[in-house]
Amino acid sequence: MAVKALYSYDFPSADRAELFGDDQLVYVHWEGNPVFCSAACFRVPKAMAFAEFVETVVGPWAGSDPDFDPASVGDWRVNGQPLGAPGDAPLTELGIGHKALLQFTA
Amino acid sequence: MTQTAPRRKLPLKERYSLLTRDLDWEPSYVTKEQLFPYTSYEGVKIHDWDGWEDPFRLTVDAYYKYQAEKDKRLYAVLDGFAQSQGHLGLADASYLNAIKLFIQGVTPLEYAAHRHFAYLARFLEGPAPRFAALCQSVDELRHCQTQIHTISNYNKYYGGFHSWSKMHDRVWYLSVPKSLFDDAMTAGPFEFLISISFSFEYLLTNLLFVPFMSGASFNGDMPTMSFGFSAQSDESRHMTLGLEAIKFLLEQDEGNVPIIQEWIDKWFWRAYRMSALVAGMMDYMLPKPVMSWKEAFELYFEDQMLGGLFPDLEFYGIRPPKHVQDAIAEKDKLSHEVYKILHNFSFAAAFTTQAPSESHMRWLSEQYPATFDQYYRPVWEKHHRIEAGGGRVFFQGLPQLCQICQIPMVFTEKDDPAKTSFRTSEFRGETFHTCSDGCQWIFEREPEKFVQAWLPVHQIYQGNCGGPSVPEVLEWYGIQDGDNGEYKGSPDQQSWVDWHSGDGEQGV
Repeated sequence: MAVKALYSYDFPSADRAELFGDDQLVYVHWEGNPVFCSAACFRVPKAMAFAEFVETVVGPWAGSDPDFDPASVGDWRVNGQPLGAPGDAPLTELGIGHKALLQFTA
Repeated sequence: MTQTAPRRKLPLKERYSLLTRDLDWEPSYVTKEQLFPYTSYEGVKIHDWDGWEDPFRLTVDAYYKYQAEKDKRLYAVLDGFAQSQGHLGLADASYLNAIKLFIQGVTPLEYAAHRHFAYLARFLEGPAPRFAALCQSVDELRHCQTQIHTISNYNKYYGGFHSWSKMHDRVWYLSVPKSLFDDAMTAGPFEFLISISFSFEYLLTNLLFVPFMSGASFNGDMPTMSFGFSAQSDESRHMTLGLEAIKFLLEQDEGNVPIIQEWIDKWFWRAYRMSALVAGMMDYMLPKPVMSWKEAFELYFEDQMLGGLFPDLEFYGIRPPKHVQDAIAEKDKLSHEVYKILHNFSFAAAFTTQAPSESHMRWLSEQYPATFDQYYRPVWEKHHRIEAGGGRVFFQGLPQLCQICQIPMVFTEKDDPAKTSFRTSEFRGETFHTCSDGCQWIFEREPEKFVQAWLPVHQIYQGNCGGPSVPEVLEWYGIQDGDNGEYKGSPDQQSWVDWHSGDGEQGV
């Protein structure tokens, strides 16, 4: 249903990809860990390698739970689909686009 | 000496009629459509504006006289409280975190309501609803002022009470109430009436205000309790306006029924989601809890609204709100999920939080036998262990937010309190995340509107909130050192302990 208005109602999204340039927003959810209330949101370069992302972005965030063990991180999924073995590929090549939801268990 | 007969005083009904409806006129040099341009585009049809019944029949002079008397009584209480250092009689300084949430989150909504009812007082076509809107507009301004005057007393002694108006415009958790009102104020006049007068003021007002006011009385906060009483008679008038508005719109034209139903479906869920903040406050932020969220929800919503009001509305073809069963299914989880956000993020809030104590957890277990010990107690016990070792878990980053309610995405699937609920929609090639079926339905009904949502987290990442680091954002928010963080060891707690041990100097 369209918005009912007295004029043509057409406005851009406030968070469209172009506003972030070479970066994008990515959400990360540590499944089954209730110490963190919700998934986190990060702004990261689209070209960042997945391994680097996990080490430099996800690790410091997850590490505020003293029980976090970086070695146990796995079972990655993107928007609900298994990620396989992501290794060093850049985020966008793995199908991790603007506002993608990543989930892992640890 | 001649004696003149006393002038005849008109009966109230006649005075009311002369002073309100009879002041209306037919436009002569503009058309009705030019004079009232906003009352047709939403699709609602009104055939007879005089069909509006005025339940109170107030006139302006009677209204002002009555309100002035209430103000006098309130300000006498405030003076007495301030002069006798009444704040030292509170249950605990941590109680004031609930009142910080109130002045930052609710008081600005009173002002927003004042603005929009003033607009309705100009643009509704019938003189009777215009006058009702005028009275409500003045009420809302008075509520805003009395709340500021009442709560600002605490600003002398405690953190978090300054800059509340700026915070309302900027701070992440306050975008929850702000975005709800922005959504209502950018809708047409009839949708606003259903959103604020009916869904907010009628369906949920008792759930939103009674806990704050009873909490105030239980915890020794006489001023807040007094402004609650002072506002209560206005609130009952507002509730009556909400009910009159919906009945009037439904009676005017059968074609209005499906339009109103969709607005009830949307605005119940929006107002209910916002009330989640109140749920967290009730169950976790009151040193002396009054009643649990679950109990209040059952009493004020399930019994009074679903059991009492909706059977009456069925006569008009109106059914209970679309996602009402989802709300009922959440009542054992809501407050725990929401308070977790505040506890995770109070380093970036203008209030402090703490993990619930052993005795508070016993109360929570009693109130929530189906969920607390299984799902929430173990997590709080983990926080206690971490704190015993000198730590304190704060969320090192920013949360994912729901595109509609703007609350961090903490809510869980209705049949599984351990599984976070994610809903995703695509619009114009872009992904949008929502926290629930209710919020997703609202997004997909009007995506053109909600793609514009000012989500605080994304705005920070776009560089629009003072800078990229936490201290820069906090400064832009107007949050000062000591307003935020953990309650234990905070300046508020330290002053409280000093004052009660007789060491501290007050108000310096």
